[in-house]
Amino acid sequence: MTSLRRIWALAAIPVVSILLALLVGSLLISASSLATSPSLNPLLPLIAYESLLQGATGLSFIDVTGGAITFNPSIKPDQAARALTSTVAAASPLVLTGLAVGVGFKAGLFNIGGTGQVLVGGFAAALVGGTVAGQPAPVAVTMAILAGALGGAAYGFIPGFLKAFTGAHEVVSTIMLNSLAAFVIVGLVNDIFKITGPSFARSADVGNAAMPILFGRNGNLGILISLILVVLVYVLIYRTPLGFEIRTVGANPSAARYAGMSPRRLVVLTMSLCGMFAGLAGAFEILSLGYYPAVFGTSIGFSGITVALLGRAHPVGILLAAILLGAMQAGAPSMQITAKVPIEIIDVIQGLILLFLAAESVIRHALRSRTERVTPGEIGTVSRSYGDSTT
Amino acid sequence: MTESPSPPVTAPALEMRAITKRYPGVVANDAIDIDVRPGEIHALLGENGAGKSTLMNILYGLATPDSGEILLDGAEVRIGGPSDAIARGISMVHQHFMLVPVMSVADNILLGAETMANPIFLDRKEAHRRIVELGTRFGFQIDPDVPVGSLSVGWQQRVEILKALYRQARILVLDEPTAVLTPQETKEIFVVLRRLADEGHSIIFISHKLHEVLEIADRITVIRRGKVVGTRAPAETNEDDLAALMVGRNVQLVVDRGESHPAGATLVVSDLKVADDRGQESVNGVSFEVRAGEILGVAGVAGNGQEELVEALTGLRKPTGGTVSMGGRDVTGAGPRALQQQGMSFVPGDRHRFGLVLGFSLADNLVLTQYDEPPYVKGLLRDEKAIAAWAKRAIAEYDIRTPSANVNASTLSGGNQQKAIVAREFSRELTVLILDQPTRGLDVGSIEFIHRQVVAKRDEGAAILLVSAELDEVLELADRVAVMYRGEIVAVVDGPTAEREDVGLLMAAGRRAIPPVASDAVAEPGPTATGLS
Amino acid sequence: MHKRSLGLSLVGSLAIIVGACGTAATPTPSSSQAASQPAASASAPAASGSDAAPSASTSAMKPIKVGVVTDVGQLEDKSFNQSSNEGAKAAATESGGSHEVIVTKAISDYAANIQTLIDADFDVIVTVGFLIGTDTAKAAKANPDVKFVGVDQGVCVDEAGAPDGTFACKGDAATLLPNYQGIVFAEAQPGYLAGIVAGSISKSGTIGAVGGTNVPAVVNYWRGYENGAKSIKSDIKVLYQETDPDPSKGFNDQSKGKTIANQFLSQGADVIFQIAGLTGQGALEAVCAKDGAYGIGVDVDQAVSLPTLSKCIVTSAEKKLVDTVKAVVLSVASDTFKAGTVPYNAASDPQAIGLSAYHDNAALITPEIQAKLDAALAALKDGSLDPCAPIKCTVAGS
Repeated sequence: MTSLRRIWALAAIPVVSILLALLVGSLLISASSLATSPSLNPLLPLIAYESLLQGATGLSFIDVTGGAITFNPSIKPDQAARALTSTVAAASPLVLTGLAVGVGFKAGLFNIGGTGQVLVGGFAAALVGGTVAGQPAPVAVTMAILAGALGGAAYGFIPGFLKAFTGAHEVVSTIMLNSLAAFVIVGLVNDIFKITGPSFARSADVGNAAMPILFGRNGNLGILISLILVVLVYVLIYRTPLGFEIRTVGANPSAARYAGMSPRRLVVLTMSLCGMFAGLAGAFEILSLGYYPAVFGTSIGFSGITVALLGRAHPVGILLAAILLGAMQAGAPSMQITAKVPIEIIDVIQGLILLFLAAESVIRHALRSRTERVTPGEIGTVSRSYGDSTT
Repeated sequence: MTESPSPPVTAPALEMRAITKRYPGVVANDAIDIDVRPGEIHALLGENGAGKSTLMNILYGLATPDSGEILLDGAEVRIGGPSDAIARGISMVHQHFMLVPVMSVADNILLGAETMANPIFLDRKEAHRRIVELGTRFGFQIDPDVPVGSLSVGWQQRVEILKALYRQARILVLDEPTAVLTPQETKEIFVVLRRLADEGHSIIFISHKLHEVLEIADRITVIRRGKVVGTRAPAETNEDDLAALMVGRNVQLVVDRGESHPAGATLVVSDLKVADDRGQESVNGVSFEVRAGEILGVAGVAGNGQEELVEALTGLRKPTGGTVSMGGRDVTGAGPRALQQQGMSFVPGDRHRFGLVLGFSLADNLVLTQYDEPPYVKGLLRDEKAIAAWAKRAIAEYDIRTPSANVNASTLSGGNQQKAIVAREFSRELTVLILDQPTRGLDVGSIEFIHRQVVAKRDEGAAILLVSAELDEVLELADRVAVMYRGEIVAVVDGPTAEREDVGLLMAAGRRAIPPVASDAVAEPGPTATGLS
Repeated sequence: MHKRSLGLSLVGSLAIIVGACGTAATPTPSSSQAASQPAASASAPAASGSDAAPSASTSAMKPIKVGVVTDVGQLEDKSFNQSSNEGAKAAATESGGSHEVIVTKAISDYAANIQTLIDADFDVIVTVGFLIGTDTAKAAKANPDVKFVGVDQGVCVDEAGAPDGTFACKGDAATLLPNYQGIVFAEAQPGYLAGIVAGSISKSGTIGAVGGTNVPAVVNYWRGYENGAKSIKSDIKVLYQETDPDPSKGFNDQSKGKTIANQFLSQGADVIFQIAGLTGQGALEAVCAKDGAYGIGVDVDQAVSLPTLSKCIVTSAEKKLVDTVKAVVLSVASDTFKAGTVPYNAASDPQAIGLSAYHDNAALITPEIQAKLDAALAALKDGSLDPCAPIKCTVAGS
């Protein structure tokens, strides 16, 4: 009972934020129907969300014919299998970038560098993957994935080191490192690692290092690894002395020093760990694609921030939030062709979720909930002033 | 309610009748009656968690009582919230000030009570005039343009009081106003409060410092476990009586301690120099030793280098010179971890900053400095069972009042938070114990308990360094007293035989007697001995 | 918050920025001819030649369900997403069928978006951009009953019909993947026509071309332009500069485009052909600031997409994307679908390349010039004219 209450206290704000975002989103969807037809279609949001759900899960609850809605729950097993596979496949990199931000929150760090770490991890995986393309798949895949993890970790190490030993705020340094990674990698692919043959600049094919498919069309190994990492991160954060140190540094750096911990070491370690998660996400993306195109770009690094905030920086929360965002991503094509709602509405809904999350105190007031403030400090980390230093 | 003695009987400015407030599992206020007359300073005395704050929150509109009524000047009112309370002339000065440090005094006072010249612009001139006038009237001139952050704590508190007066408060609630003040500042604020009362303001003074309450209050109402257990006039009571009322049993205000039997020097400090955050040397070459089985007290007015000294000894700050050795080993510049491994325990002065992680459970806080040692770690993982078992034992042995070991440390009262730190630090294998303000802000029951534990540790053979701004505490516990003044130890006196006045003078002036006029000491702006009684 | 990553906006969306970027941006062959397919101006008539009447007869058509998967970015990009979609939609309508579009938000979504259309039983799936080529080929192999049209995609498969990572391209795409056509354009041809215009109207005997990055599409345009100009005046001086080898800069640096163009103008150039996206827009602006100098746009009718500069844009070297996509999709409806990589050029029906209308500057194109253009186009059509000769369409040119 009390644990249920605790869970609710933690989940209330995210859940309400999601519902409010869907509500506001439905108004926008209704309004968007004006673009294509002369009159407002009040049923459009229902159709859109229904097709979104169907695209993400294969579940259907209603039939809409003409203006009439009939409640008719149904499921097509083969479609459901495909849809769910797509959902988890879309969720798995978000889980990793969510962890890349969430674990940072635990240590009081705001890692905005997910994007750069994803790119570096992906690029490292592509280079090593291209080199070992001819090796047996288990060797090639392992090496390419490890390269991605190490590349990301190294790219997370830099802002961690700068923060620990020079006091450079990680928000500033990671933003700059994002740009640096983007530009340098484009240059490298264009000038050095470009292969001849294709009509555009890209790295060599990763061959046998391509992401193994475990189930369905796109149920790849990354899904499994992401899930395992969620469990490992949970254990690390809540069940090991190191996790205790990370949480202590995040919650009260002075107390951490008093307790004999080394905030500097922890900052470097945590940022490297965060970078590793993001790097893995990049590796999975690139190894699924099979090569690194010069024009590669991805939003998963930034989506990680949404995921971590929505999941309240808790590994289980991050998993659930990533599945939600993954479902939106997987369901969006079906929403586009069934409801003819512009895909940008997905971005809008995700933006609204963040907005409502940030307006936490307003929602709390609206709820009149006695849910105590159990914010694990993640909002605090986001909004903390630049002057703070943990060392 | 016990009938109180009689200053001229007038209608109470405020009356709270049969106030009852329940929270899940506790009755915070159980039919509390209290009345405050115009011009009266009414002290509200009680241990932490007795229900004082709940009662005041109800008065201030922050909580709604389950039953009972509030009367202002004899008329029943319903207080909807803080703004309503302020509109009715009730103001609260919180223990932690609600001031914006970068804003000027005037701006802080105006915040939320803006005096408008017209609908768009503030009337700063008029506001300045009123602030200066109010300050003059109550005996403290203040420059309205000074940023609040540059003021001392004592003056910040006066700004809070000015803020209340500016809002035309008639009933002023002060929540532990002296907890953050030096003895001298306390004296000064008492003058201000008396002046306010003489002008007809009613003051509710919340405290658990018995001698202060006896000094300032016209009447004292004691609350224990949500009930009023008595109302007294200062003349008809004394500290022991009040302490017994508060705690519900006779309390030993001064802990019995036998003679110390010190052995060899365990902690040896020689010529230690420490710089503060601005790089100024605030500890200028102090030397002393603490022997096993004795308590060395460090007395001194706050800000004379004690904080830096403690941080240097505990590894939180690197000394700029000198040496420290522990049990014969040089530990100069060692970090907290190394010192802990050598057998040092430390109860920090700022428990919220250093001693606890408020967002963590009590159990986690109880292992904050032992989290990676057996038995709390098994293999790579924490042993939650061992942690829980220890938490259970600590709660019982150290009398930590808490619903469970899993509640956040932030939900505990100050006394229980401190007990948790003491439980953690005292339970380690230790040879050196450093105590910084170990009882600051605690109630008598908790103080008594912690003092007992300190003496017990001494008798077990620990070398204890006790730093406290409470001279009484130092004199009660210390076997020897070192007096710190401007970063130096100006004298070390025998604890049991030390003269209070003598130590007070040392603290204030760095020497035993104030020299005749025209000496350089007079020109020094340092604190004076009056603040020490 | 930031849905789209910094990386995307800086790198990933290169193609979009380059090719599309807002109303003003001029789509151009991007990073690697990426954005090669603009042609927002379906309305702009070709400079000459026959107008596109689909060859297939309407009567033989079956209604088809056409789905489009765009490249990463917006649908309304005034470039190849929009044009391909318009072409596909027009074809669906003409066949009496239906049309849907899925806008892609990330490279990793390509496969899922294609699959969504397959699951929804679409007959023809048009995928836009070279990056989606691999996923299109995979889908084509797995779904032989569905026709795939890849805009800007050379089909390269191994002997098994799988996308070839080594680019040996040993498999015969047309037979191994008979349900997949990759559309590519011959940029040298419109470049050649633009060169004829430039060579004819230049008074100074010096003309210029501003390239973004030397990717094949840009080089094709440039060398075609050079050959075209020299066919008019054999001693004409053709200045050329690559803006930056990094396409994220090469196609996006408006101020550098201006600088290069000004430099050319000071060297006496009076006609400048832009092959550099947003960079080229800067070049056109520089040209407009100078009296007596003229610019030539690229990919789409830039006098229309950049109305403020229309007074100094003589014409644009255009790829007729809407018409081409429409015709290819309709070939499915009429069962005349061709598989493999199909180059589209002047000889295609409908004509796939050409010059845009001259708008404000029609007076500059004298009947003599127009006659030369018509003759060149006819020669390009019948194959008697190689736009990559005598200077070869490589950076070295030899």
